[in-house]
Amino acid sequence: MNKLIFNEMLKIIRKRKLIVVVAIMVVLISLFTYAQFREVQRQIEKLGDVDWRTTLQQQIVDTQNRLTSSGISDEWKAQLQIRVQQQQYYLDNNINPAEPGAPTFVRSFAQESITLFVPLLIMIIAADIVSSERSAGTVKLLLTRPVKRWKILLSKYIALLLSISIIVVLMGVLAYLISGVVFGFGGWNAPVLTGFTSIGGELNTSNVQLIDQWQYILMEFGLVWFVAIVVGTLSFMLSVLLKSTSASMGVMLAALIAGLILSNLVSSWQSAKYLFMINLDLTGYIAGSSPPVPGMTLLFSIGVLSIWAVGALLISFSVFVRQDVY
Amino acid sequence: MKKTYVSIISFLSIGAFLVMLFGFLWTIQNQLVKKETTVREQTQVVEEPEKRNEGKIIVALGDSLTRGTGDEEGKGYIGYLIEELEEKTDEKLTLHNYGVKGYRSEQLLSQVKGETIQNQIKNADVILMTIGGNDLFQGGQTLVSPDKEAIALIKEQYLNNLKETMDIIKSTNQDAIIYLVGLYNPFIDLDDAAMTTKVVRDWNYSTNQLLDQYSNSVFVPTFDLFQLKVNDYLFSDKFHPNSKGYRLIAERAASLITW
Repeated sequence: MNKLIFNEMLKIIRKRKLIVVVAIMVVLISLFTYAQFREVQRQIEKLGDVDWRTTLQQQIVDTQNRLTSSGISDEWKAQLQIRVQQQQYYLDNNINPAEPGAPTFVRSFAQESITLFVPLLIMIIAADIVSSERSAGTVKLLLTRPVKRWKILLSKYIALLLSISIIVVLMGVLAYLISGVVFGFGGWNAPVLTGFTSIGGELNTSNVQLIDQWQYILMEFGLVWFVAIVVGTLSFMLSVLLKSTSASMGVMLAALIAGLILSNLVSSWQSAKYLFMINLDLTGYIAGSSPPVPGMTLLFSIGVLSIWAVGALLISFSVFVRQDVY
Repeated sequence: MKKTYVSIISFLSIGAFLVMLFGFLWTIQNQLVKKETTVREQTQVVEEPEKRNEGKIIVALGDSLTRGTGDEEGKGYIGYLIEELEEKTDEKLTLHNYGVKGYRSEQLLSQVKGETIQNQIKNADVILMTIGGNDLFQGGQTLVSPDKEAIALIKEQYLNNLKETMDIIKSTNQDAIIYLVGLYNPFIDLDDAAMTTKVVRDWNYSTNQLLDQYSNSVFVPTFDLFQLKVNDYLFSDKFHPNSKGYRLIAERAASLITW
């Protein structure tokens, strides 16, 4: 079994997929770092001040102004209201929500990338993991070995899990190193608040706890990793079911983008919360933003995602074991 | 060579897997187990932002006029005022605009009670305010169905709030000069102009009277600016000024500002 897994890892590395993923990450993280840098410069220029309290107060005022405009949707309004109350809470407790430094960048980067960026990177690895063997014809060589079919598929799945893990960790490391050059490497112990919950558009601060930033980042990446695995497992299933790699990528991409669009619309469509793509924004729960459908919680989302992943695994294995290969 | 490379990556991946798994389980444990302790007391003292010597600091407080609602260029009277002042002086001007659309006097009061705003006020050289319009007009309701007693009540509350606001500002910063922009009558070309004009005039008079109790505070009248051809200076909502209207207010306020 170890040898099989090793063999699968070899294939992933041979195809230079990890390199491609790393290259994409380096380019995009550099872009985001630069954009963030410009934003900071603009703030300093505009407010003539680097005191974070000034900036935060200004943000609160800006958000309050956006709240009063009549053109915005109720979902967005609720989201903004929660944000204002949260910012006010930070201000009242004299805690800087964005201590300058690379760790803060890493934190917000993970938060932004969980719904689309990470799933896309994972798809690069996962979408063709089985279907490419079929299109290249190598699947026959693989299946004629005296090894049970499910073992072959399992070795592929484990290799996928390992690649996903290293991609997520690499993302954190790269984000830290690249942004650190600009923002400085310190700030791991900056205080961060977590445990905000929103009930009916009101912010509930009774469970709020203060933790160090490194703890928060570790938790966040744990969630990013979980989402990556769920998305990876679903792509894996599509890769078993569909013969063409581009088809499985297309299906997955459509689902992810539909999820992004739906998240802004579904608050009145209750049963949408059982769709996996609505549940991807797990970091939102620990940051305390209001969920797409009222009543959703972290545990609920993890549960829904787990069910989808387990279902996908069952389908993958039962199909692959029985499939005719020609 | 290739083999060791793959082995290294595989082992790193296993390490990464375990770390991430730990992070994930920890999150679940952390978020689900309710903790007794909440936010621990922040002991560090709020470091006073140092008062800088170069340049002048302008703090703008108040409602939609401060925000610039209705201005096609989005600047509001504050934006034009800064432009005017920059022509007049070589000083470096720093603006903090805390205006929020729709603010009434009690909301402004609770805003200035905030520590951060007070820190800004402390450093300010000039404080500009627009407030009261939403108290009085309430989106046009008050003057459509006027009721003398209701208006008197609103005015009393407004004056109390304004007094408290001024007290807070003055106790935070004695030296800053406060400019309070008065109300104009956006309904002056409607049928019952005589009545609305009287209400607005009384309102401005009482506001001015209140300001007289404080040193270094100036009432900036705008009633006359909008008295003739009011529609030329109003935005399409017939309530907020348009660019021209904002420019008029800015010019007047700018001519009053000295340091």
